[in-house]
Amino acid sequence: MIEILPQYLFNGVLVGANYALIALGLTVIFGLMNIANFAHGQFYMMGGFMAYVLTASLGIGYFPAIVIAVLVVAAAGVVLDRLIFFRLRAKPLISSVLVTIGLSILLENLALLLWGPKPEAIPSPFSKMPVVLGPIFASEARLFALGVTFATIAAVHVALRYTRWGKAVRATFQQPEAAALSGIDVDRLYAACFGIGAGLAALGGALLGSIFFVHPTMGGIATLKAFIVVILGGMGSFPGAIAGGLLLGISESLGTLVSSAYKDAIGFILVILILLYRPDGLFRRA
Amino acid sequence: MGSTKKMAPLAGMAAAAMVGAWAAEASADVVVGAVYPLSGGVAYDGQTKLNGAQIAVDEINAAGGVLGEPFVLEVEDGACNPAQSVSAAEKLITETNVVSILGAFCSSSSGAVMEVAEKYGIPHMTGVSTAVTLTERGNPWFFRATATTSLLAGAFGEAIMDAGVSDVAFLVVNDDWGRAVAESYGSVIEELGGSVVATEIFGRDETDLFPYVTNIKAASPDAVITAANTQNAANLTTQLRQLGVTVPIMGEGSFSSQAYLDLVGEMGEDVVGLVEYVPSIDSPENAAFVEEYVSRYDEEPTKFSAAGYWTVNIMADAIERAGSTEPEAIREALAATNYDGLTGNFQFAENGQAYNFTVYMARISDGEPEVIGSGQIPQP
Repeated sequence: MIEILPQYLFNGVLVGANYALIALGLTVIFGLMNIANFAHGQFYMMGGFMAYVLTASLGIGYFPAIVIAVLVVAAAGVVLDRLIFFRLRAKPLISSVLVTIGLSILLENLALLLWGPKPEAIPSPFSKMPVVLGPIFASEARLFALGVTFATIAAVHVALRYTRWGKAVRATFQQPEAAALSGIDVDRLYAACFGIGAGLAALGGALLGSIFFVHPTMGGIATLKAFIVVILGGMGSFPGAIAGGLLLGISESLGTLVSSAYKDAIGFILVILILLYRPDGLFRRA
Repeated sequence: MGSTKKMAPLAGMAAAAMVGAWAAEASADVVVGAVYPLSGGVAYDGQTKLNGAQIAVDEINAAGGVLGEPFVLEVEDGACNPAQSVSAAEKLITETNVVSILGAFCSSSSGAVMEVAEKYGIPHMTGVSTAVTLTERGNPWFFRATATTSLLAGAFGEAIMDAGVSDVAFLVVNDDWGRAVAESYGSVIEELGGSVVATEIFGRDETDLFPYVTNIKAASPDAVITAANTQNAANLTTQLRQLGVTVPIMGEGSFSSQAYLDLVGEMGEDVVGLVEYVPSIDSPENAAFVEEYVSRYDEEPTKFSAAGYWTVNIMADAIERAGSTEPEAIREALAATNYDGLTGNFQFAENGQAYNFTVYMARISDGEPEVIGSGQIPQP
């Protein structure tokens, strides 16, 4: 068993990085903008289907297709913010809960109507053969997704920390009125952030869709895991989303060493324990 | 590539609607009801079943119908939802006055429909539902023209052991069927002197199966036996191979279907499906069926298409032999069935369970399922 331990850790990092990527978008939308976005998994699903349509139906290359898929869903996010979430800004959280649950049902059924219930594979240039790294077995698509995930996380972090725009975002979410007074276009900033959140979910869907498959109901479980990770990591905290995702992934994976049937239960027990002792999550809001 | 496939369900529904309209006009017809899932998560599978049933209906009518009258299949959507399936069956029996009923695909729905059929005293037959309990309820109106998981395990056990397997690992979906596969095949293999070294049960919505597959790899089995539908089946095949598990993969479920083959590609080579039907069965009847199916729907029939075809034929044959559309006469004729179809000879035991037909082991070779072995379901 001990010689296979690196594989369990690696499995955990892979799943955890996936969780972190999906949760990053939700951190922006839920953690910063305070919209409990239950349609987050459907943005993830849409990202997967966009990448599928662009590659399989329109014959666009895999890498440009991922970029276009992310941009299309991000643009849809901006439009949704201007049409719907703009009106919900000062409303209680329950309004956004109800609206996004409705939106999730709409998007899921739209996908079912457009693409049917059959799962589809996104054509990618990656070989499906195993990549062997010492004691660890992986695949090209998984390693690519892992690399893109960490690069994206780093890029978002740098943009928020060190750019003028990032400063404006942080100012707005701390104190919207004061930010508006000092000349920040708050409405535009909200729309941009919603677009980025949706785009990050779409990136997750496009990357994971090429490791696994895309299908209309893939979003539900993604929403669930993303909420767990955001709450575990600490609302609105980027390092929290990353640490929370990795922690959940690794604990689920090591949990299978004990019993695969209790894999998810072990993850949830960990979440309960952490929230008992750190009710604000691992990291406080930045 | 997808446009014709996506049109097929629409064409099928239109065909079903036309059959319905026809039934309303001519009341002397012999009308049989069918509850199939035509919407919801198993809509695609249900549609392929209706496609197969439709071919049987057309062939029967081309040969002069049943009892000298046109034979009509009146189809309602049960969506594999027990409540919806029950109202569909109620409607077919009380409003359309069907003489017998087929369906309802998923075991839980068939289990609900058989109560309705018993209430009205109407013969009911399924060609797909495999839950063992259905034929244990002592419902004299119920017939099952397919194998249960425990019958399949019994039929395949020796062939699996003959392939040089002694330590097996199970990787099955977390529902009644998946657990039944692990239990039934496990006990058969242990009786034959083999052993079960790992049993991993994954959730239907899970995509990353690396954790389960790692456990299987650690147990180093001689073969992995699985139960999975299309998407889970493709995921687990790819991930077993990616983690370096090179032993044979055998499974109940979609391991010979076109949708699975499309998703899994070259990773599916040598995977063995343990199935009730494969399009490559070498017989003139099957060749004719496959040719007709491909010419109509532009894809190969699934095992559900074949089940749709043979259940309609078995029912029509029973009504013909009964000599009337009297439910009790049809029930007695069904019990005396001796039908030769796509997969051999079908007869029904006292409890309504079919036996004597053949089930298949199909190995994927160059992207095509190829029959490598078969078993016969014994008389219980």
